[in-house]
Amino acid sequence: MFFQTVITGLSIGSVYALMAVGYSLVFSVLNFSNFAHGAIITLGAYIAWAIMVAHLSVPFLPALLLSIAGAGFLAFLNERIAYSTLRRRRAPSLYLMISAMGVSICLQNLLYATVGAKLYAIPAVFAQDSFVFRDITVSKMDIFAFWFSTLSIAVLHLILTRTKVGMAIRAASRDMEMVSALGVNLDVLVAVLFFIAGGLGGMAGVFMGIKYMVYPSMGWITNKAYIGAVIGGLGSLPGAIIGGLLLGLLEALVSIASIGGTSLSTFRDVFSFGILVALLIVRPTGLFGRTVEEKL
Amino acid sequence: MAYAEAIFLNSAIYIIAAMGLAVFTGYTGLFSLGHAAFMAVGAYAASILTYFYRWPFLPALAVGVVLSALASFVIGYPTLRARLRSDYFAIATLGFGEAVKVILENFDLTQGARGLPGIQKLTGPGNTTLLLVLSIWLCRNFLRSSYGRRVIAIGQDHIAAEMIGIPLLPNQLLSLGISAGFSGLAGGLLAHYTTFIQPSIFSMDLSSLITAGVVCGGMGSLTGPFVAVTLFVVIPELFRGLALWRLVFYGMLLVVIINWRPRGLFGYEELSVRNLPKLFVIMGITLGLTMATVVYKALVRANAYEAAALLAALGAMGAIALLVSLLGRGVSRLLEPVVPRVRGAWQEAFARFVRLLDPLLGTMGRKRRPRAVVPGEDGDGAVGGEDTLLRILGLRKSFGGVVAVDGLDLEVERGEILGLIGPNGSGKTTVFNLMSGVYPVDGGEILLAGKNIAGLSPPDIVTAGVARTFQNIRLFGSMTALENVTTALRGGADYSLAEAFLRWPWTVWKDEARLREETLMLLDLVGLADQADRTAGTLPYGLQRKLEIARALALRPRLLLLDEPAAGMNPREAEDLVDLIRRVHDGGRVSIILIEHHMDVVMSLCKRIAVLNFGRKIAQGSPYEIQSDPGVLRAYLGEKVNVAVR
Repeated sequence: MFFQTVITGLSIGSVYALMAVGYSLVFSVLNFSNFAHGAIITLGAYIAWAIMVAHLSVPFLPALLLSIAGAGFLAFLNERIAYSTLRRRRAPSLYLMISAMGVSICLQNLLYATVGAKLYAIPAVFAQDSFVFRDITVSKMDIFAFWFSTLSIAVLHLILTRTKVGMAIRAASRDMEMVSALGVNLDVLVAVLFFIAGGLGGMAGVFMGIKYMVYPSMGWITNKAYIGAVIGGLGSLPGAIIGGLLLGLLEALVSIASIGGTSLSTFRDVFSFGILVALLIVRPTGLFGRTVEEKL
Repeated sequence: MAYAEAIFLNSAIYIIAAMGLAVFTGYTGLFSLGHAAFMAVGAYAASILTYFYRWPFLPALAVGVVLSALASFVIGYPTLRARLRSDYFAIATLGFGEAVKVILENFDLTQGARGLPGIQKLTGPGNTTLLLVLSIWLCRNFLRSSYGRRVIAIGQDHIAAEMIGIPLLPNQLLSLGISAGFSGLAGGLLAHYTTFIQPSIFSMDLSSLITAGVVCGGMGSLTGPFVAVTLFVVIPELFRGLALWRLVFYGMLLVVIINWRPRGLFGYEELSVRNLPKLFVIMGITLGLTMATVVYKALVRANAYEAAALLAALGAMGAIALLVSLLGRGVSRLLEPVVPRVRGAWQEAFARFVRLLDPLLGTMGRKRRPRAVVPGEDGDGAVGGEDTLLRILGLRKSFGGVVAVDGLDLEVERGEILGLIGPNGSGKTTVFNLMSGVYPVDGGEILLAGKNIAGLSPPDIVTAGVARTFQNIRLFGSMTALENVTTALRGGADYSLAEAFLRWPWTVWKDEARLREETLMLLDLVGLADQADRTAGTLPYGLQRKLEIARALALRPRLLLLDEPAAGMNPREAEDLVDLIRRVHDGGRVSIILIEHHMDVVMSLCKRIAVLNFGRKIAQGSPYEIQSDPGVLRAYLGEKVNVAVR
């Protein structure tokens, strides 16, 4: 029972981690919480559904790659339309956050208005298959998702440490002005940044769609990923990964715990949001974050 | 008729909620994304009382209001005390909102996610109108009172607000509590209008809808959210086929407004004769839209071509919008001479009425709080007969590895003007920041009349008698010159919060008149009396500096810290400023430390000058001594280098 819970926790945690990386990447450079990320993730899942089920019946792997590219492109557009003006004006981070909220509301309801509120399933290639080891069951899809997420984060790591644009991104997360003064084109850098964050989000969206179906408000779960990013420390990539996994585990454990016969599972979300508020107050830098002064 | 009533009730309820949020977000600049939670508290509290306990409507609503206000402290106290980054604060409120929703979903009394069906329909046009008008009136009164001015000042510049002695936490909590209270009221009304509530109604979408109302309407305004929310309710009614697109539209609007028109419709202004045309333009477009939909539908029904119908509809809309806009201009021009006269007559009549009841109500049950003792006038010259007002001993401050102030000793005699000079980056402003409590002190003592003020909070330091100005001017930009100074007046207003809400004539009026008079005297002192009602942000640079000095004087300091008051002034303006500082000095009733780079200003005002370099005092003495001090010359001009000449 306990090990099964841990497995469940890790499998949801790895999806949280994938989404949390997107939040942290954007935060590390632009210093704001991009609440439109949830909508991008949702759209990523819808792209996969659209090309696999609704229209073209593309096979799974190409569909996954197309969703990644599509979500990345949407994230790039999102930045161009909703943030670039504010970024150039050096508006307070709060303004960027409000703008992100606007995008999120707009996109989510765009889905309601066009595709509708119905739940759709993405047929997973190995969804029904699972490994059984004594009394522990692990679905093959979870293993694939875990493996693929790890792979893509490894690729991200290589990009950030080995390529020129990656190093520029890391430098910008320390001091954007300086990077700009050194002749790096910030617009390009930010575009790449959003493409990567959106791509990872799209991937997470597809995995989530397979696990829980596709519906317009599925982006709500990204709030949890955001909490994971806060636990790890906003702006820190290892922090986002560990925070996401940790939150998945904690939630799974809280779900099976009980106090005096009352199951705590119904209060799982209160618990997560409680952690969020408490962390922001007590230790806004999380586990691995560093203090960044707010732009005033 | 029922349809019009539904639109009216919907607008009224959301207007109350949005104006409630405006009192907090619009004026403090802090965004709450969890106000739906406060609406939920109000809605559930009131419904449970009327539903299970058969309470009458108004008391039930009142309980909801109080509980909502209390609920706001649960999230407000820890987050505001910790002074979160403004975006973290917004996220924390969002988390709180979601948590409240989940709790309601799992709570027996609220019947969980099923919600409460069959609530009595008690919300009607009568009581809603009454409560709407009352809400507007109360919000307005609050914001115009000294309590409201403090909240507004914090929103404009929280550092400057602290430096004039306004503590942040209690004032922000007050505004949050009031705001939550109105949200609770809106929630209670909503529940008894729709007769069914469930937790999912009070979602993030609702919170963001109210937020959108405040942002689009304009920060720092009650008129703005009122108009914006009305539009939010009315316009979607015109396009009922597109109901699903409503939130898409709000989301886009939020992005557009925050990116390209952060002022919104009525940012930092209230309805007046002058901006009446703007309101008419908005009304004209709305009416035009209404007419356009009517024309379009009629023509399509009469089998006209769709394109033609669309064209006709657009034409009708344009015509009506233009007509109403022109009408607005006319009305505004017509009213312009009339309004002041009517207002004057009304005020006179009301004043007569107030005076009539004065003997009855003027002193009714009021204990006047003893006026704050003004330091410098309380005869503290007698304390130990000491002549030194300020003694700084071994003051230290470092930022990371940089030692900004390094064991500084400094004295200020009673009634003296001490010049504090030094090259850029020598730590002069840091000394001021330490003295006024902007930064915590690393070590050393700051003794003001023998009492150590190092480590006190900025408001406590102000109370002790230290006031300052800023190198880069920090006025409350969208307040008038008068309000800037009034907000800082020592002792402030005497009336209670309840009286402020009612704008109780027998206390508030009298007090406000007194404050106005005191303020005008100060403005007169710095030569700004004729600019009293001008918005501070629109004053020319030199006058802003003077206004900042007047604001500091309003605190009745015994020690005034002036940080480069002549910066950016030409010689004539600087001369003018010298005269002003002499007047302010008032024959030594106020002691002054003056940081300044204009040497002629320093030389003509100060009998004693201290020179800082690298956070240390390198010289001190009369202007003459300083000018010839080799250490000072070295600090300013560098070491003498012997260049070998062949």
